[in-house]
Amino acid sequence: MKREHQDAVDGGGSWHPEAAAMEDEKGKGTMGAEEDGGDDELLAALGYKVRSSEMADVAQKLEQLEKAMGSSTAANDDALVSHLASDTVHYNPSDIATWVDNILWELNASPTPLAPPAPRRLADNYDPKPLPAPHAAAGRIVYGSDAQSVVAPSPRDRKRMKVCSSPPSSSSTTDAAKSDKALPVVVVDTQEAGIRLVHALMACAEAVQQESLKAADALVKQITVLNTSQGGAMRKVAGYFAEALTRRIYRPQPHRGVGCSSRDSAALDNILHQHFYESSPYLKFAHFTANQAILEAFAGCRRVHVVDFGMRQGLQWPALLQALALRPGGPPAFRLTGIGPPQPDHSGALQEVGWKLAQLAGTIRIDFRYRGLVAASLADLEPHMLLDPNTGDCSDGGEDEEPEAVAVNSVFELHGLLARPGALEKVLGTVRAVQPRIVTVVEQEANHNGGTFVERFTEALHYYSTMFDSLEGGALAADAACGGGRRDQALSEVYLGRQICNVVSCEGVERTERHEALAQWRARMGRAGFDPVAIGSNAFKQASMLLALFAGGDGYRVEEKEGCLTLGWHTRPLIATSAWRVAASAGGDPIAAAAAAAL
Amino acid sequence: MTQFTRSAPPPPPLHPNGVGLCLAMDASKPSLYRSRPWPGLPVSSESLGSLNSVNCMEQLLVQCANAIESNDATLAQQILWVLNNIAPPDGDSNQRLTSAFLRALIARASKTGSCKMLTAVAARADADLALHVHRFSVIDLASFIDLTPWHRFGYTAANAAIAEAVEGVPAIHIVDLTTTHCMQMPTLIDLLANRPEGPPLIRLTVPSLTTTAPPPPMLDMSYDELGSRLVNFARSRNVAMEFMVIPSDPSDAFDSLIEQLRVQRLVSEDEVVIVNCQMLLHYIPEETVGAIATTMSVNSPTLSLRKMFLEALRGLEPTLVTVVDEDADFTESDLVGRLRSAFNYLWIPYDTVDTFLPRGSERRRWYEAGVRWKIENVIAQEGLQRVERVEPKGRWAQRMRAAGFRSAGFTEEAAAEVKSMLDEHAAGWGLKKEEEELVLTWKGHNVVFAAAWVPC
Repeated sequence: MKREHQDAVDGGGSWHPEAAAMEDEKGKGTMGAEEDGGDDELLAALGYKVRSSEMADVAQKLEQLEKAMGSSTAANDDALVSHLASDTVHYNPSDIATWVDNILWELNASPTPLAPPAPRRLADNYDPKPLPAPHAAAGRIVYGSDAQSVVAPSPRDRKRMKVCSSPPSSSSTTDAAKSDKALPVVVVDTQEAGIRLVHALMACAEAVQQESLKAADALVKQITVLNTSQGGAMRKVAGYFAEALTRRIYRPQPHRGVGCSSRDSAALDNILHQHFYESSPYLKFAHFTANQAILEAFAGCRRVHVVDFGMRQGLQWPALLQALALRPGGPPAFRLTGIGPPQPDHSGALQEVGWKLAQLAGTIRIDFRYRGLVAASLADLEPHMLLDPNTGDCSDGGEDEEPEAVAVNSVFELHGLLARPGALEKVLGTVRAVQPRIVTVVEQEANHNGGTFVERFTEALHYYSTMFDSLEGGALAADAACGGGRRDQALSEVYLGRQICNVVSCEGVERTERHEALAQWRARMGRAGFDPVAIGSNAFKQASMLLALFAGGDGYRVEEKEGCLTLGWHTRPLIATSAWRVAASAGGDPIAAAAAAAL
Repeated sequence: MTQFTRSAPPPPPLHPNGVGLCLAMDASKPSLYRSRPWPGLPVSSESLGSLNSVNCMEQLLVQCANAIESNDATLAQQILWVLNNIAPPDGDSNQRLTSAFLRALIARASKTGSCKMLTAVAARADADLALHVHRFSVIDLASFIDLTPWHRFGYTAANAAIAEAVEGVPAIHIVDLTTTHCMQMPTLIDLLANRPEGPPLIRLTVPSLTTTAPPPPMLDMSYDELGSRLVNFARSRNVAMEFMVIPSDPSDAFDSLIEQLRVQRLVSEDEVVIVNCQMLLHYIPEETVGAIATTMSVNSPTLSLRKMFLEALRGLEPTLVTVVDEDADFTESDLVGRLRSAFNYLWIPYDTVDTFLPRGSERRRWYEAGVRWKIENVIAQEGLQRVERVEPKGRWAQRMRAAGFRSAGFTEEAAAEVKSMLDEHAAGWGLKKEEEELVLTWKGHNVVFAAAWVPC
């Protein structure tokens, strides 16, 4: 890693030796710790709380920093910028306080300005491009010409931002006037800075795609600086993208994902997942809509079986059990097969969830059976593992028991299969072989799995900006209601940040966040022998009502789209629930169907 | 966040192909887990282990109310989802009952602002409700009320008591405090017109409620018009009647009405005053309406508008006060207590409706909309907007005694009248005498009580 890094820096050629040395030092410090740390770093990220008390401190330091920066001469501005940039190869939005501290300390320690480096020029090459006029409505930034993708800066954005790269005479602020020597600072439109930031992110992605790592390196540093001008969702999301780009640029081994969503952090993943569940309506929407489709498909069935492709904490099932327990005509016998990845600590979490569900089922008088299946990949499943052991051979058993109605449920589990060729087809073949009455699929409504890196990056930037924006709105409401929303929000952002990291910095089998949009899933499911099942207006009404009551903010929208339901933020759909059944033509003998799928 | 308190079981054996069959279990096995395992439905055998689906629905409603009150959006959403699926608004009587409470809880969540809510949804719900509050014509309302003994019971009992109290009295002043727009009066006029000593002169005074959202049923005509019809009806029975409307409201303990009655009392001392209270008194704020109670408590900590009103009534020296009301308690300040209490009373109108109105009929819609109005008011409203403050008959009796009344009771003839009226209705209705009061029952459960009071 060190060698590569060195290459990237040395390759620039025009770096001041001092800067390069410092860069190297810093690189060792931050990058090294981060990679060695592995879980530690991720756990540190977990503890990430920007408490409001700290925010004041951070704000004060930022102010000091601005003044310090402003006090250097105009000629040195560029040097300063690059100096700052070189200090912050790894920028994590969570430790902005430390970051600012470091910079302040270094500014005080070494008043001698550094020589102007080359990267600034690269950035200059980019900057002079005419910025698109911010055709932004109040408080919204519109990227390029895509009017759909919007980022709303938090109210904090508008407060002020000063950057130093301008002639000292241009203007001053009241803040500056307060200090002894009037410090030259310029108030810059945050929106413009926001657009610059997005452009820098895009330029950096472009550079990554063209494998010009030098340029990418310089840009990622500039992103870090520009990002300080942002607030709220924009700052956070840009931070994650910058981090992901950094990881990609300094990828230690080309094919090793940097802990973004690796299996060894499954426990952490579960915790983050739970906070994401609590703090935003996305997973709840997923569960309600999928459960609705399952409940309706099970109407009148005496024996039912749900196969959950991602059991986790089983959050989806208590509500369905309860609804089945009280359905007219009495509850069915309920079998649940929960599938989960192997736990590194062998915690047996899958069984514990089963125990608890069994306890719930007991109290509401449902005949309940549970089976946990540990599978490293869903592609390892075979139909016989899912079939009812009691009635799997009912053909000769002659039991007059009604065959069980099967539902297969997948919430954000299918896109990961696209990393390995044939895996999805294998899984869908297995699904078809168990002849489910219904298959419920929830997926991100985005295309993070096609086109060039830049296209993927752009799509992801739009997607996650919107996502972060919605979390911001929800947390505000939650805070107003009962407080504590901020912590959930922060953890949800870490949850999403890991996805961003995977989308941007990983490739090959490591890139598992291969989100595809409904149209693509429709084609895939159709090819695999499934027909769409329209999700009823009942589900639509309910989802809308539940969201309206509790989602926080009125930005969330439930929409019906060709029999599927989407949940989005303002005009942008972000996740989609679809339901499927085995196509009439593909029905018949499960074994034959499985064989057909294998071909 | 899930906390595991027990040490983890041994690791699942991994199958060579990467799949391990871990365990199969059934619900009968005991479990060590007591803590709330999900941000979801609570697992507690005492809360959900009860026997029938009605109890379960009540439990779910209670949990939902608790979740809404404590801002637990996740739990509230989950329970709302479940309730939505098990309680269709067009299901059986218990499902419709549950559905009405569910809607009321949603309305509450949207109003209290404890959960963030689109105002549009609340507005839509209000519009829905308004749409269903039907405006009856007099004829329609009369036949609507005749469908069930809910109101007829009180009419019959009160008429009998009044007729007895005014025997031989030539001039009576009837103050009709009712939600049913004087629908009782034709029957009382009829009764008095045919008495052996000849009809009395009748002065009828009624308050017309000034509130913007009066309880249903609603009438499609003004009280002036209603009055002239009643006067015409009385004339057709050879009864001379005067009709007076006083704009007044229970929210101020019928202040202007009482004022008017006091004046009237001075003007015509020889009139016998009869106050007929048919399910309207419980709209007068009682002690638990916070703001009123505290401002009034300067002099007396137990003073309430309800108490004040009864004392003012006593001051009019009435010959008889009939008090008819629903025998339930909707006055608990605690939402959950109120919900339980209302749930365990308001199942009755849903249960009875099948006996007198076919499914899908228009009148049934009006009828159930009226019940829903009550439920919505009890659950979703607070403070002065929560007007359905029904109290059980025992508490009314205490209040009446405290105001200086004593129970007059009902004669055997009165009870017989009521009984024969009940014969026109479904088999589940019954009559019982508790202390000196008559009680209408449905399947043995108290529904409405009637009491007759005279000044001590």
